Amino acid sequence: MSEPENRERQPLLSARNLARVYRVGAQSIDALRGIDLDIHQGDFIAIAGPSGSGKSTLLHLLGLIDSPTAGELRVRGRAAQSLGVERRASLRLRTLGFVFQAFNLLQMLTARQNVEIALALAGVGRNERRARAQTLLEAVGLGRRLNHRPAQLSGGERQRVAIARALANQPDVVLADEPTGNLDSQTGREIVDLLEQLNAAGQTIVMVTHNLEIAHRARRLFLMRDGQIEEVEPAALDDG
Amino acid sequence: MLTLALRHLLAKKLRTALTVLGFGVCVNLYIVVTTVMRFITDDLDRQVQRFTGILFVQSRGLEGMSGIEWPPISSTIPDGDAQGVLGLAAVDRERSTAVSLAALAPPPFPTAPPEALLVGIEPGREHVFLAGAGAIVGRADFAGQAPDAQCPPAVLGVLAARHFASVASQTVEFPSPVGPIALAAVGSRVPVRGCEFEVQGVIEPETNQLLRSAVMVPLDCARGILRQPDAVTALMLSPTRASEIDSLQREIETAHPSLMVISDRQLAQNARQLLDRVNQLFSVVRWTSVAVAALLIAIVMFVSVLERTRELGTLRAIGASARALVAMILCESAGIAVSGSCVGVPLSRVVIREALGPDAAGIRSRRIEWSAAGILTAFGVLASLLPAGRAVGVDPIVALRYE
Repeated sequence: MSEPENRERQPLLSARNLARVYRVGAQSIDALRGIDLDIHQGDFIAIAGPSGSGKSTLLHLLGLIDSPTAGELRVRGRAAQSLGVERRASLRLRTLGFVFQAFNLLQMLTARQNVEIALALAGVGRNERRARAQTLLEAVGLGRRLNHRPAQLSGGERQRVAIARALANQPDVVLADEPTGNLDSQTGREIVDLLEQLNAAGQTIVMVTHNLEIAHRARRLFLMRDGQIEEVEPAALDDG
Repeated sequence: MLTLALRHLLAKKLRTALTVLGFGVCVNLYIVVTTVMRFITDDLDRQVQRFTGILFVQSRGLEGMSGIEWPPISSTIPDGDAQGVLGLAAVDRERSTAVSLAALAPPPFPTAPPEALLVGIEPGREHVFLAGAGAIVGRADFAGQAPDAQCPPAVLGVLAARHFASVASQTVEFPSPVGPIALAAVGSRVPVRGCEFEVQGVIEPETNQLLRSAVMVPLDCARGILRQPDAVTALMLSPTRASEIDSLQREIETAHPSLMVISDRQLAQNARQLLDRVNQLFSVVRWTSVAVAALLIAIVMFVSVLERTRELGTLRAIGASARALVAMILCESAGIAVSGSCVGVPLSRVVIREALGPDAAGIRSRRIEWSAAGILTAFGVLASLLPAGRAVGVDPIVALRYE
């Protein structure tokens, strides 16, 4: 599908005038101010910015983990703020996939079981989830590490398991929070290669990073500063 | 989620093992206390039933905090009074006897008679005390002894026979549901307070604790041992006609104000009062074990939830429902409770067997074991709802916070 065609369709995630204010004692901190953002099927978006710019807060809002203090967030056209806690959890399970900077794998489970847990939560039967977990892990290059626990895997391998887990329920959007933050540069590049491959296969990806080199690999790039967002052409980064 | 719950239990092996053991001890305590409660209740019922239609006469002033003293070991009735009562026309002399009682060993558990109880009975009136009970070996009366015997005869209850096995001149292995037990053999001699008796027989065990602990000897021998040549401890009376039991009771109490007459109804009432107090105490112990088991699981699960905040946050972030997290915590607590029950039930069997000896097999109840496991497991799982609520309340943002 061409870029203009994609834009005409209803966005998977749509933020309008989104704001998030944190209160620390009597003080208010504006973490996000008036964010407008549409995420369409097939997008590969990078949100870059310095620490404290609000990019992780935005990802939490997009991922329905946190709630905005103002503005509107729609998931496939449906307002998300009005949803209850359990409905939001169900949406997270079936339409969103999370990849965390610290991997957040369950240490006592094997790679395959870590992927299976997402499928089990969605009510997938035992045999099917075993098969799907294996397929996903093979797809991310871990076909020989199915029964290894996180402690027995390298950082890059752990992040691949986390990506496989995020993909388990065939989500509309994968949200990755600093997916290369805990990895060396070579491994980080390999992870972004994997994300690129997934995007090429049609998976929508939103990645938060403070690493501009990594951000540059995305098809759409947003810069954040002081809680505000601005879309820039990736080439603009090359110009400094 | 079941796999995850199981992995959590296995990940903290020592903690899980100690919690399971603690829960098992509570299950054991619940079963043992309930079983002993039932044993005492059944035994007192059997004692009351066996003495239906019999009046017990004892000296006044023996009513204490725990009601009428039973058996009335402290009672003393002068011979004159005893003969006067036994000579009443309304007393069926053939089915009545004077008795002398004394404790030869402490009781095996509260409310029980002494483990060995000296019971002096008028020869030929053994049936009054035995109330239909026979012998498992030998004879249940004094009549079988040879005229040239050097020692007076004794008929032993099974507990008394076991008690005296260590000092008897001969013992015999007797099969019991908990394995063979050594009993003083028929024909052997047993020393009782410096006087030797020849064992004539052992009373059948399916009676009650009073008969099981009896060392039944001729009345005069008992009076000699107790150095009471002019008194007996109590009287066991049967009225000539059953309908005269109340009038006989009134007649004795009028003629002998120093004596107290206890009917089987009063005995039953006394037993019930005694049981109520014992049951109250046992109930406290029983429900304390339930509370401790529930608290144990609640505390362990609370600690577990606190330790796993990051993991629970991750699960919540990837879409785990509250129901799934609650199910996981409940599965873990149920796992501990079921494993604890698997430890507690066999442990209780050992404890009951050690505490009650040959009586144990007869009183062990699968219903009590199942209900104990069920009740404690239910309370344990319910108690883990509190930590489960805490698990559900974990903010998923903590999962995204870099550590």
